[in-house]
Amino acid sequence: MKAKLVFAVFAMLLVLSCLSISVVSAHRLHVVHKISEIEIEAYFVGATPCRNANVTVYDKGGNLYMEGVTDDEGKFSFPPKIGMKEYTVVVDAVHMPGHKAEAVINLSQEAAGASAGGMGTEMPLYTRAIAGFGYLIGLAGAALAYMGWKMKRKLGDQKIENRE
Amino acid sequence: MVHISDGILSLPVLAAGWAITIALIAVALWWSKRKGSVVEEIPKLSVMTAAFFVASLIHVAVGPTSVHLILCGLMGIILGILAYPAIFIGLVLQAFLFGHGGVTVLGVNTIDMGIPALVAYGIFKAGNKLIPSKSLTSKAGLLGALTGGIAVALAVSLTAGMLYTLGKEYAWAIKALIIYHIPIIVIEAIIVGSVVAFLVRVKPELIGSLGGEKE
Repeated sequence: MKAKLVFAVFAMLLVLSCLSISVVSAHRLHVVHKISEIEIEAYFVGATPCRNANVTVYDKGGNLYMEGVTDDEGKFSFPPKIGMKEYTVVVDAVHMPGHKAEAVINLSQEAAGASAGGMGTEMPLYTRAIAGFGYLIGLAGAALAYMGWKMKRKLGDQKIENRE
Repeated sequence: MVHISDGILSLPVLAAGWAITIALIAVALWWSKRKGSVVEEIPKLSVMTAAFFVASLIHVAVGPTSVHLILCGLMGIILGILAYPAIFIGLVLQAFLFGHGGVTVLGVNTIDMGIPALVAYGIFKAGNKLIPSKSLTSKAGLLGALTGGIAVALAVSLTAGMLYTLGKEYAWAIKALIIYHIPIIVIEAIIVGSVVAFLVRVKPELIGSLGGEKE
């Protein structure tokens, strides 16, 4: 009788524990995150990497945070400062005076779509070249139209003069 | 590399660049209007501007960097004085579409590439008159090569001069600019020389600096 009762209690406990079990409770898996590097990539139009360029990183307050040089692929990585969410990166291609670019990296926004601002978003080079031709044809057309209008008016004036 | 970008040069240099460029464009347009009809020049003008516009995409790897063609000598030889406004338009498009150079420096950059074009025009025209030769093709080719090379050398020197206004900090950059452009001087001399020699044989009336004295 007593043994039966003990068995019943154990059985109930077993059923209860089975019901309340959850997937992770046995070997709890922890996931923590740490952003160890921010990688920047510098390249010229047409995806030519910007090598050996000086990189200067400033924090949100405009204070100098880190300095370095891009590698052969035009890349440069730096560890983020704890609590600092925004950086300004200035890349100065010293080999090509006159090529300097600046980018603001905002980590809190970046998280949603990191690398969204990568090369993929740039209009391909040939499209730009074709766009340039388009502008030139447009300009030439406008100039010709203007000249034509002027000529027509001149001819019109002459006609009137001839009639008089 | 001959394109200087925004935010490097000082304000007086930028302002002077704009003033000189606007004045030279006005003079070029006024001069060519006085000389004859600009209407006939427009198709040639836009084709050459298109060539100038895309020439900057042809990169030649030199050392750690790559430099690109400029073609300012060819612009001067073919377009004459109108090369200046053409180069300005080409640079505007390059600045907006390719990110070469910048918007505030357009004046300075047009000087850097437009003045060599005008000088090229002068040299080509004078040389053509001075040097007596039987074969027009080889003379034009050699003169074209010489002029094309000189124009690039001059463009590089002008850019170096603009950077020189910034002081010692850019001394190394100026040195790099000059050294890396030596191959471009040679390549452009060959290109301009062969293009001019070809045009003289096929369509001499296209070359603005020849056209004037022939008729």
